[in-house]
Parts: sequence; C-alpha cells; structure tokens
Amino acid sequence: MTQKLLEIKNLSAGIAESGKEIIKGLNLTINAGETHAIMGPNGAGKSTLSYVITGKSDYAVTGGEMLFEGQNLCTLKPEERAALGIFLSMQSPIEIPGVTTQNFLKHSVNAVRKYNNLPELDAAEFLKLLRTAAKEFDVSTDMLKREINVGFSGGEKKRMEILQLSLLQPKLAILDEADSGLDIDALKIVANGVNQWHNQNNSLLIITHHLDLLKRIKPDFVHIYSDGHIVKTGDMALAEELETSGYKNYLKASV
Amino acid sequence: MSLLKQDISLFGDNIPWFEGLREKARKAFERIGLPTAKTEAWKYSYFKEDALNKPQIDETPHECDGHCHDASKLPFAAVELKYCNGKLTHIAHDLPCGIIIRPLYEATEDGEIKPYLNKSFDMEEFPFAALNTAFLDEGLFIVITAGTILNMPIYLHYHQHSGMNRLCNIRNIIVIEKGAKATLIEDFDGESDARYFDNIVNEIYVGTGAILQHYKRQNEASEAHHVAFNSVQVKSGGKYESLIAHGECALARTESCVRLTQENASAEVNGVYRLAQNGVSDITTNIRHLAPHTDSDQLVKGVLDGKAKGVFQGQIHIAPDAQQTTGYQLHRALVLSDGAEVDCKPELEIFADDVKCSHGATSGDLDAEQLFYMQARGIPLAEARQILIEAYLNEVFEKVEDTAVAEWLKGRL
Repeated sequence: MTQKLLEIKNLSAGIAESGKEIIKGLNLTINAGETHAIMGPNGAGKSTLSYVITGKSDYAVTGGEMLFEGQNLCTLKPEERAALGIFLSMQSPIEIPGVTTQNFLKHSVNAVRKYNNLPELDAAEFLKLLRTAAKEFDVSTDMLKREINVGFSGGEKKRMEILQLSLLQPKLAILDEADSGLDIDALKIVANGVNQWHNQNNSLLIITHHLDLLKRIKPDFVHIYSDGHIVKTGDMALAEELETSGYKNYLKASV
Repeated sequence: MSLLKQDISLFGDNIPWFEGLREKARKAFERIGLPTAKTEAWKYSYFKEDALNKPQIDETPHECDGHCHDASKLPFAAVELKYCNGKLTHIAHDLPCGIIIRPLYEATEDGEIKPYLNKSFDMEEFPFAALNTAFLDEGLFIVITAGTILNMPIYLHYHQHSGMNRLCNIRNIIVIEKGAKATLIEDFDGESDARYFDNIVNEIYVGTGAILQHYKRQNEASEAHHVAFNSVQVKSGGKYESLIAHGECALARTESCVRLTQENASAEVNGVYRLAQNGVSDITTNIRHLAPHTDSDQLVKGVLDGKAKGVFQGQIHIAPDAQQTTGYQLHRALVLSDGAEVDCKPELEIFADDVKCSHGATSGDLDAEQLFYMQARGIPLAEARQILIEAYLNEVFEKVEDTAVAEWLKGRL
C-alpha cells in the first residue's frame, strides 16, 4: 500500500508582511518512494512553495492544509519540520561568516538527533561520520574547516548541500534549483548523491528549469506550476515537451 | 562634594611629595567635579546621582578566606594577584625571573614609583583619575625588566563581596622595560548582590621594542559601577595590544588613552561587549599618534538585548609631524531588542597630511536568512541565535594571540 508522505490540500499562501497572495489553491500529494518535479516559468513562485513547506516566516499560509505523515505542518517551527525529515536545498545556500562548516554540521546533525530522542554524537563519532560522507562527495578537509558556504564556488555550495542531505537522511528532500550554476562534473556528483540517498521510503521534490538534472534523477511525475497552482501533471514526456515548446501552451492567455 | 568628605586615614601622609599629589588631586576634583550629561566625554553614560553619593571607602581590613579566589580557577598557568573588596589580598609567591611586583605603598615609601605616578595623564581632563589620585592608597607597582619574555600571564583578579556600598580606588603602575614582553589579564567579578563603585586607574609604560598584551574582562552585579582608565604610553617600536570585554554591570566604562610617543610604536585597542539586562557598557578610546610611522587599529563589537545600552567613543588624534601613520577604527553592534540602544561617536583629528585613517560603524539585528538556513537544518532558533552571536564576537577574540586565553575570555562573557 502506498504511504502518503506529504499532502498539500487547496493551499493558499503569500508574503506575510504585504499579504500578497502567491500560492492559490495548490494540491499536491507525494507518496513515499516517489520523485516529483515542479517546472514553471521564472517568477511563478516555485521557491515560495519550498519556503512555505519548510516554514520560513516571511510567508504566511492563508488557507488549506499541509500534512507530513499525517501531521499538520502549519503549527510547526522550521527546525521541527527539518527534524521530522524535511530537507530543503536552497537555490543559493546561505553564507555564515564565523561558523565553520564542521561546527555547523555538528550542530545540525545533533539537533536533529536530539529532537528524535537519539543520543547526540560526541566529537569523535561525528568526525568519523563526517569524514566518510565528505569523501563520498569530494568535500576536502580544508573545506570543512572553512566558514560554511563563505567563498565557496557554486559547485562547492551544491556539493555541501548534498553532503548535508547524506548526513541528515531526511524523508523528503526539496531541491530548489539544485542544478543552477553547476558544470557537468558537479551535476553528476549532485545527481549521484541524491540517487544514492533515494529509496522506496523517501521522496524527492525537485524544482527546476532544466532537463539535465531530471535526466539523471528520473521523476515519476512532472508538474507544471503557474499562477500559484499546478496546471498540468504528466511524466518525463511532459518535461521533454516543455524543452522544445516552452510553457506557452500551459499559461493563462495574456490579455 | 560628598565623595571627598570621607573622614579616613590613608597611608603616606608623612611623605611630602605623595601627600602633595593627593592634595593637588583633591583640589582638581573639587574644581572639575563629576561629569554630567552635559560633559561631552560622558554624555552617553553619565551617572545617576545616587550612584556616587552613597559609596564609602571601606577601612576594615579584609581577611579573605580564599573561596572567592577558587571561583576563578584558570585553565592556564599565571602569576596570580588579587584584590578583594578593593584591597590587595594576594601576591603570587615564586615569581618568574625578571618580574618585580610590589604593593603601591612600598614603592611609594622608597620613592621608586615617583617617576611614573601620575606622569602619563593630566588630572584636569579626567575627573575619575583625579578622584583616584585624591584617595591613592591601594595598588600595585609591576615592572618587567629589560629583555624579559614572560612565559605566563600576570592575572589580576578583582572580586567584590556583598555588604557595604564601597568606593574602591585602585592604582596600578605597569612598566614594561626595553625589549620585554608580557601579558596582563584583569578580571572583575563579584557576588550577585554586591554594590560598589570601582574606580581603577592603570598607568602603563611600554618601553622601546617592548610588548604588552592587556586583556580585561568584567562581568559584574547589576548594582555595580565600574570605571577604569588605562593611561598608556608606548615608546619606539613598542606594541600595546589590548582587548576589553564588558559584560553585565549597572555601568561599566573602560577608557583607554594610548600615546604613541615615538616612531614605530603601535597599538591595538579591541573590544567586545554583551549585555542583556539594563546595564550600560561604555568603551572610550583615545589614540594619540605623536610621532611618524605609528600605527593603531581598533575593532569593537557589541551585542545588546533587553534594555541594555552600549556606548563607543573612539578618538584618533594625529599630530602635525606624525606622518606616514595609520589609524583604523571599526565599531559594530548587534541590537537584538527594541529596548536596547547603541551610541557611537567616532572622532578623527588629523593634523598631518600623509596618513591613512578610517573609521566605520554599523548596527543591526541578526541575519534572518542565516537564522532560517540553520533552522532548516534542524537547529532550534535559540541555539542558532547563540551560534551567530558567538561567531560575530569571535572575530575580536581571534586577535588574542594565546588561544587558551582567548577561549577563557570568551567563556567568561
């Protein structure tokens, strides 16, 4: 029997301060083991969806509901959503001067363990875990000692995100433009990392413009997102069609 | 002036030059009086009247049972010295070679202190230094002899017990002779309900090619008042590297006045402050470049929460013939609540034309994007804030050469 992991029902959400509505009656169900891709034109609010799911306070939910394994997400803080197993890889991972990558990752891993009533890892245990994962994603010891994301190249930032995915082992990974600014080698590392983590118990939501990443991480469903909701759902064939003919057939006719 | 009308006996009234100095100071203090909100150098951190009307000089000899000394156990070896309730109670035995430590009265009686005492500043400009001089009675005379490289810090612990509201005037004279190097750590704390007014004056003489690293930390009771004045003189090729770390207090002001008197003298005056209640932290600096090729650098960072107030006043003065000097200054503050306040007053007085000087000031809140990124990785908001605050202040602590000392300073804030 398929197990519902994320259920979004008739969701409306917008910018908290101005009240501007961006998501308008969106429905999306992601079952365990599935990979979904969301494609859409620039400025349609695809990133907003990822922030609303993860609980960024700049956005407010105005209607509908979001359930994660049956639990109402709207009342949970971002760190609780993360600890329950929702992982967001941001389009532009944030630089934090003064905080070393290693220290950041240790806080992250232990915070998630603590929330889930697992014993926190001591320095030696954590280092062992980190070294193994770092090797896999071509992350050098030097990079771990640097301040997180500060001065990292686009490829380094994305590799760091995938390293975090591997360390935290979430149930749902949202990859927002994970392919932006990557060369072929970096794209391969990212895709391989994601595929290695992905299994029948966890799920993926990929937000992208490009086919490159989808060719490497095969989606089960492709959704076209426009004007705040999903206007068309299909499979990989839909993504390929978009590659040749663009979004024009699926957007509201402009007046 | 009620502060001066304290009927007490002080040592050395039979030493004419010494008693004469105190008398001069009493007159100076009577003339200039306490700073008010209208005194430019004190306009952001003037004292409310009752702070200075009630404290009394404590004449009871203090017998310290040592328990307060244990509280500050250091994670590194040091030459330990201690003031308890404003009285010198402990001088380390077995001093390393090349260091002379004597109580103020002893060095006064044989006149050894005379070339240094009140020779580095003008009392008319510093009311609290005048007050300190008027009540000269307690303090230390420390000399690091020429060429001595001290391999452990000198640690001055000032502790205050609760009890009477004390006025404590302490004078330390520190002389780093030619080519010597030393680290001086000052640590101020007290019982949580202690009320007192500490008025500390350090006169520091850094000789030719000598280095003094001076680190100061205070984290005191909410009713405690703390005024410290570092009057520093640096000779040719000498270096004065300092860090001032302010924690809680009713009002803590550290004023460092550094005179770079000869070529290639340099100074670093860095600071951090972190307050979350309703105290005031004031770091005031005055760097005087009096000779060519002198360098100074200042980085002060603060974190304010609750109803706390932070003040930074930084003056860089470059004399007409102090060509080819550099003077940099940067003050940054994180203001975490609506009730907190920060006041910053940079002042550059440049009378030479071939110099490099800059100053800057910023204030703001923690970065929301950084906080969300950490939360999105499972780190609870409170923990994320703490990590960011520590990272923010770390930039200043990194300037402390000895990492064990840096860690200790950090942990005590």
